[in-house]
Amino acid sequence: MSTPIEQTNAASASPPAEFEPRIIGFLCNWCSYAGADKAGSSQAPYPPNVSIVKVMCTGRIDPEFILQAFKMGADGVIILACHPGDCHYKEGNLRAAQRHAMLARILEQMGIGRVRCRFDYVSAGEGDKYIQVITDMVATIRRLGPLTL
Amino acid sequence: MKIGVYFCTCGTNISDRIDGEKVREKLAATGLVSYFKICPLLCSEDGKRFLEQDLLAERPDRIVIAACSPREHEATFMRVMAPAGMNPYLMQMVNIREQIAWVTKDPAKAVQKTALAIKAALKRVELHEMLEKQGLEASPAVLVIGAGPAGLRATLTLAEAGRKVTLVEKTPVIGGLPVMYEELFPNLECGPCMLEPLMGEVLHGDYAGNIELLTMAEVDEVAGYFGNFVVKVRQRPRYVDQQQCIGCGECFEPCPVSGPNPFNAGMDERKAIAFPFPGALPNAPSIDPALCIRFTEGADCCACSSACPMGEGVVLFDDQERIVERQVGAIVIATGAGLYDCSRFPDLGYGRLTDVRTAFEFERMLASNGPGGGEILTSRGEPPQSVAFIHCVGSLDDEHQPYCSGICCQYAFKFNHLLESKLPDARIHHLHREIVSPGKEEYALHQAARSNPRATFTRYANLGDMKVIDQEGRQTVRLTDAADIIADLVVLCPAVVPHADAERLSAMLDASQDRFGFFEEVHGRMDSARSKMRGIYLAGACQAPADIQRATSQGMAASGHILSELVEGRTIELDPLFASVYPERCAGCKVCGKVCPYRAISFDDENNVSVVNAVLCHGCGTCAAACPMGAIKANQFTNGMILAEIEGVLK
Repeated sequence: MSTPIEQTNAASASPPAEFEPRIIGFLCNWCSYAGADKAGSSQAPYPPNVSIVKVMCTGRIDPEFILQAFKMGADGVIILACHPGDCHYKEGNLRAAQRHAMLARILEQMGIGRVRCRFDYVSAGEGDKYIQVITDMVATIRRLGPLTL
Repeated sequence: MKIGVYFCTCGTNISDRIDGEKVREKLAATGLVSYFKICPLLCSEDGKRFLEQDLLAERPDRIVIAACSPREHEATFMRVMAPAGMNPYLMQMVNIREQIAWVTKDPAKAVQKTALAIKAALKRVELHEMLEKQGLEASPAVLVIGAGPAGLRATLTLAEAGRKVTLVEKTPVIGGLPVMYEELFPNLECGPCMLEPLMGEVLHGDYAGNIELLTMAEVDEVAGYFGNFVVKVRQRPRYVDQQQCIGCGECFEPCPVSGPNPFNAGMDERKAIAFPFPGALPNAPSIDPALCIRFTEGADCCACSSACPMGEGVVLFDDQERIVERQVGAIVIATGAGLYDCSRFPDLGYGRLTDVRTAFEFERMLASNGPGGGEILTSRGEPPQSVAFIHCVGSLDDEHQPYCSGICCQYAFKFNHLLESKLPDARIHHLHREIVSPGKEEYALHQAARSNPRATFTRYANLGDMKVIDQEGRQTVRLTDAADIIADLVVLCPAVVPHADAERLSAMLDASQDRFGFFEEVHGRMDSARSKMRGIYLAGACQAPADIQRATSQGMAASGHILSELVEGRTIELDPLFASVYPERCAGCKVCGKVCPYRAISFDDENNVSVVNAVLCHGCGTCAAACPMGAIKANQFTNGMILAEIEGVLK
C-alpha cells in the first residue's frame, strides 16, 4: 500500500516561491562523509540546503535525533551510510537501515511522511552520487514545501 | 565559557567563496563567540605556530576551527593544541572548504550555511569533555594456532624478535599440507626439503627457546581481549616421551595391530604406534588409542616398549591429556583450509569408484614416502595408460563454491609434468571450466603442459553434467558436448574450502567468518592479515585460498602487525572514543550487548547492569542509539552533543 505524498502533505501543496528547505544530513565518518568531501574536490555546485551532522557510524543515529530534528524545524532528514558490506563497524549501516525502515512507518502515521526522511548509501568514492542524492532530496522537499507540525 | 573561532582562508580556497567578515557579523548576534579570528593557511608551519601562541595568549575553554575537512587536518590541529596546554578534544572542526566553499555557487548562501555550521559547532563544543588516551598493560606473548607454512613463519619471526610464542598444532606433525607433497609448484622443489629449514629453526634453532610447540593440541577456551588473552589448550597424550625418543622406529615392527592411515587418505595402513609418514617432525611416533589393543581391549601388550632401544619409560602407556593455560597478548589464526567434499558430485564417482581420486590422494601416491612408494598404480595394480584431471571441482560454481581456488591449475600442471617423466606413454586429459596461471613463475608449468603432445585440454560448461562411468575397470568420462574420454585414473581437483574447525574457532575467538566461511579480514586488499576482532590476526589459507608464498607472506604480515601494535614494554593506546554505561540509568535489558558488533559489552549479573570493555569497543555508538534508557555515553558523540549540533543548525 502506498500513501500518496501529495495527499499526506496536502496542506502545503503550493509552497511559497522563496521556500528554502532546511535539511539535516547524518553522514558516517568513513564512507558518506568522505563521499561528500569527494564531491567537494570535484567543485561541482549543488544546493546548500543540507547541513551535515557527522557521526562515526550511522548505527549511532538514534531515531530520537530525527524526531527532534523535525521538531526543531527541519523540513527533511537524510541518512547516508556505507554500502552493505562496507561498514567500518561490520554492520552499523544495516542497523541504521532497519531503524530507518521502522521510523519511516511512524513518520507516516504522524503525518510527517516517510519521504521527508530518506536513507541511502554513498561510498567514499561516490562524489557524483552524493551530489545527485542531495540534489534530488532538496528538490523533493522543495516540492513538498515546509513541514508544519 | 570562552569559545574562540579560527576561520582559515586556506590561501584563497575558502576566502574566494566565503566572506569571513560577513560570517563574523552573523555570528556576533548569537552571543556564543568570544573571539573570531580570520587566519591564512592555518595548517602551514606559520599557521600552526600562530595557533599555538594564540591559544597560549587567549586561554580559551573551547575552540572551533572552520577550515578544510577534518579528514585532512583535524589530527594536525589536535597535535598543536596539546603543547598549548589544551586538551585536544575540546575542539570542533567545521568543514567549510569541501562541503561549503567549493560547492556553493551563491556567496550569500555560502555565508549563511557557514554561519549555521559554525553555530552548530559552538553549541556542540560547549559540551565537549576532556578526554585522554589511556594506556593498558599487555602481555607481549603470542599464541599461534596451526603449524603449517603460515603459522611456522609467524612463529619464527616473532621468536626471532624475542617474543614468547606458543604454537598449537592439532596433528602430531608440523609443516601443514605441503610437507606431505613430494614436489611443489611452480619450481618442483621438494616440499619437506623446502620446509625443513623453517621447521628446524622452530624445533631447535637459536630462537627455539622462545617457542613452546604443543602438537596434538587444540585451543579449548579463550577469555579476555587484545593484550590480555587467557588461553586454555587441550593436549592429547602422545604416549611417547618426545625428549627421550630418538625416532628410530624400532617399535613399529613388533606392534601387532594396524589400521587405515589418515595421512595417506586411508590408502594404506599404519601400526598403532607410528609416524604419520617417514620424515615427519617432531621426530617421535605416537600411539593411536583407537587402534592399540591396550586401550581397545585392555590387553597387556608391551611389544613397542620392549623393542625400544632407549629402554623402558620412553613409551608412556599412562600418558594423560593435559590442559595448558597461557596468557598472551595476541593470537594468530593459521589453521589452513580444507578441501571440498568431492562426493557432493555423485556422478563423478568419488568414494564409489576406486580409481577416482582427489588431488590430495594423488599427491600421496606420487610421494616416495606415500602408500605406494611413489609408484602410480590403478586398483588393478597396473600403471595407468591414461589419466584425466578434472579441474574446478566445486570451484567457480554458484551451487558449490562461487570462487576460484587459485592453486588447482598449478598443481594439475605439476601433475602433468611429473606424469610425463614417470609414465612417458600415458595420455593426459585436462578437463577444466577455466584456467588461470598468474604470477612471474607460474606460467612455465602451464606452458609445459600445453606443449605436451600427449596432453589434451577440454573445456566444460557445467560439472553437474559430467559423468564418470566404470566400464570393465576403466573409467569413461562423459561430457554433454564432447567425445567420451577413457581414463584408467581420474584425479579430481577439489575447491579449497574453509577448515572444518573454522566455525568453532570463530565462535570461540569472536573473529567473524566471511560469506564463504573463511575468516574475515579487515580489508581484502589493504588489510588482509588482521581479523575484525582486535588482537586476532590471520595468516594463510584460513583467510582465503592460498599458495605457500601467500601463506608465508601473510605469516610475516601478521607478525609485523603484532610487533608494531603490541610493543614489549609499551602499553596499548586506547582511543578515547569508546562507549560507557551510566550504571544508575541502566535498566538491565541487555539490548546494547545484542547490537554490539564486537561483543564489547558484557553483563554484570551482580549489579544488574551492562558494562562496556573499552579495549574491545570500536566507538561506533550503535549501543548508545539502541539503549532505551539513554544510559550509554558515546564519547565525543553524546546524545547532548548531537542534539546541540542539530539545534545549532535549526534554531
